[in-house]
Amino acid sequence: MLDHLGSSLKDALKKLAGKTVVDRTAVEDLVKDLQRALIQADVNVRLVMQLSQAIKTRALEEEPPRGMSVREHVLRIVYQELVRLMGSAGEVKLGSQTILMAGLQGSGKTTTTAKLARHFQRKGLKTAVICADTFRPGAYDQLSTLCSRLNIPCFGNPQEKDARVIVRDGLKATGSAEVIIIDTQGRHALEDDLIQEIIDLNTLTGATHRWLVLDAAIGQKASEQARRFHEAIDIDGVILTKMDGTAKGGGALSAVSETGSGIVFIGSGETIEDLERFDPDGFISRLLGMGDLKALVERAQQSVSEGEIDVNAMMRGKFTLRDMYKQLEAVNRMGPLKQIMSMMPLGNIELPGDAYDMTSAKMARYRIIMDSMTGKELDEPSLIASSRIHRIARGSGSTPDEVRELLKYYKNMKRALKGVRGGAGKFNMQRLMKKFGGM
Amino acid sequence: MFDGLREKLQKITTGFEERIATASAESAPAAPKPEKKDPSLLGKVRVLVTDREFIISEKDIEEPLFELEMVLLENDVALPVADEIIAHIRKDLTGERRKIGERVDTIVLSALKGALLDVLGEGFDLVSYINNHERPVKILFTGVNGTGKTTTVAKIGAYLKKNGFSVVIGAGDTFRAGAIEQIDVHASRIGIRIIQHQQGADPSAVLFDAVQHAEANHIDVVLADTAGRFHNRVNLMNQLDKIRRVMKPDLIVYVDEAVAGNDAVVRAFEFEKSVGTDAVVLTKADMDPRGGAAISIAHTIGKPLMFLGTGQGYDDIVPFSPGQMVDELLSEAA
Repeated sequence: MLDHLGSSLKDALKKLAGKTVVDRTAVEDLVKDLQRALIQADVNVRLVMQLSQAIKTRALEEEPPRGMSVREHVLRIVYQELVRLMGSAGEVKLGSQTILMAGLQGSGKTTTTAKLARHFQRKGLKTAVICADTFRPGAYDQLSTLCSRLNIPCFGNPQEKDARVIVRDGLKATGSAEVIIIDTQGRHALEDDLIQEIIDLNTLTGATHRWLVLDAAIGQKASEQARRFHEAIDIDGVILTKMDGTAKGGGALSAVSETGSGIVFIGSGETIEDLERFDPDGFISRLLGMGDLKALVERAQQSVSEGEIDVNAMMRGKFTLRDMYKQLEAVNRMGPLKQIMSMMPLGNIELPGDAYDMTSAKMARYRIIMDSMTGKELDEPSLIASSRIHRIARGSGSTPDEVRELLKYYKNMKRALKGVRGGAGKFNMQRLMKKFGGM
Repeated sequence: MFDGLREKLQKITTGFEERIATASAESAPAAPKPEKKDPSLLGKVRVLVTDREFIISEKDIEEPLFELEMVLLENDVALPVADEIIAHIRKDLTGERRKIGERVDTIVLSALKGALLDVLGEGFDLVSYINNHERPVKILFTGVNGTGKTTTVAKIGAYLKKNGFSVVIGAGDTFRAGAIEQIDVHASRIGIRIIQHQQGADPSAVLFDAVQHAEANHIDVVLADTAGRFHNRVNLMNQLDKIRRVMKPDLIVYVDEAVAGNDAVVRAFEFEKSVGTDAVVLTKADMDPRGGAAISIAHTIGKPLMFLGTGQGYDDIVPFSPGQMVDELLSEAA
């Protein structure tokens, strides 16, 4: 069910793959699919429309930089626009500060409060929390249980009905702590008296940070809620919780764009340690349901310098062991094959299963075996018959079976590449090899 | 509730009407303008359309349908669901196109109504279910974290008590710190017996005890709270499956929140697939006055909506009625 979300975008990108000039229809298709992907990720519909307009304009007007394919060009624009929309990760200073938590009911404020306390405690700061949730039964029990496991002081008073009184007393009681985190009752932006309460709490505490806790699953409502919270207490950071589910967290984009702040943390699990600093690139990948774009670009660049593969020879259908050797080398630098393929936005080329399953240990083994071959054998693998197999096995300290396995792998690879070439034309092939071999 | 969606839908129907007006103006350019300023939407459409002969073609409705889809999306109807609703309307409308002279306003509205009613299905009357069922009726509540299961259990407990049933609550959330205390306070406030173990206990055991207690004491309804869990956690879903096997619930009620976006579809589907769902409760409907998530979930799993949670008080729960909602959505007096 989930997989097909990202795949339509991949299909759209594939349409651009063979193109040398930016094609209006292809770009429009891509933008449409991008819209769908983002809307399914719960990004605000208006935001999506603005974004896709910007992408369309740029993709059609900007000249692709030299040496960059149309697909890469468009992808780069998509990536840049998303990064622009998202802003940078919110800042977290390590020092004395008071943090006021705000958010809807059930967004995970209390759990996140405890996680944050743990985060600051681990950084060596003296941390304390105040439970200002006077409404939900068990709220104080929950927070104090979590905190007592961590030996973090937790101030609260389940008998007191006024959050302002608790916070005032709490600030006195926790005076010596460097980091004070105030958990508040869940509220939504349409409840005026509760909004007034949090405004009062903000004034009372003079909070350094006012963080909005947002459920990753929140839909289009995120914008409005974030805006109202922002109007009330000037939100300066967003914490996205429940990212361990299947929700893509597009609501956070809406919130970030409404509040002009950044995402500070991501809650990614039920235990106290499951809090991560926000990583924009991983987030974008998740939004689009595609592999990690930036990581791919970086890794491909790192391995660009060496490992030339004779694409032209392969174009003629000549894929030799020597080519495979280089390819293995290149792939080795980029990480496991399967990971590379999954990172590739257009990596839908069907490779035989055992090609994926190659472990790096096996790759190393294959290279050792190939090191024992003569130059002639590498260029003309069909020469390798029984006696040569035995010689190679002896030379490389392997068994004849391993050598045969390597030859079988080579044949599979050759067949797969032939299929690609036959199916998708010259251009696609070249690009594939470029990605594949990192040349 | 649902005010936002209603407003938008009405704007769209106006959009339809304008399209139709333009189209009919094109088809009969000499026709005089109809009586001015009929305040009612339906009235306007009727006057504009029915007195002339006019056919809706697929092309005519393409743009308003796109707008309608955008409106559905803005109201948190998940994308695949919105797609299907639009397809449904398109099919309905273009199917009707040959009937020259039929009132187009009725066609448009009934297509929309049909599509929404189709999606929302029947409501679910809990009281009559319990009345027609062998006691104790065991109701298991499921859902992801933070959707409001515990609060919903308390509210439904209060609702059933008011309807004259005896109720016991099983505190099956043994994971989250403070959860047992939370439900315990709720239960004592509304005067319902609660069966609980220690934090960290096996929820199946707790809920089994709750069922035993109900059987021994001839209690009408067992409400089984559970810990929130994500549908992609296999072990937690297996735990839920074990609970189901042990307590053999009569009803599995899936709880989700009205503010949820596209993920509502995914998780509703997964819960339905792994433990089954008989009815749905949508919480926090006061937070999101639009009806998107209701439509998404109902469409995805085809199970009726039972209640809407509309606030923080125990009385803030209303039985869900699809016909009423759709009528409200499309009523002339907005």
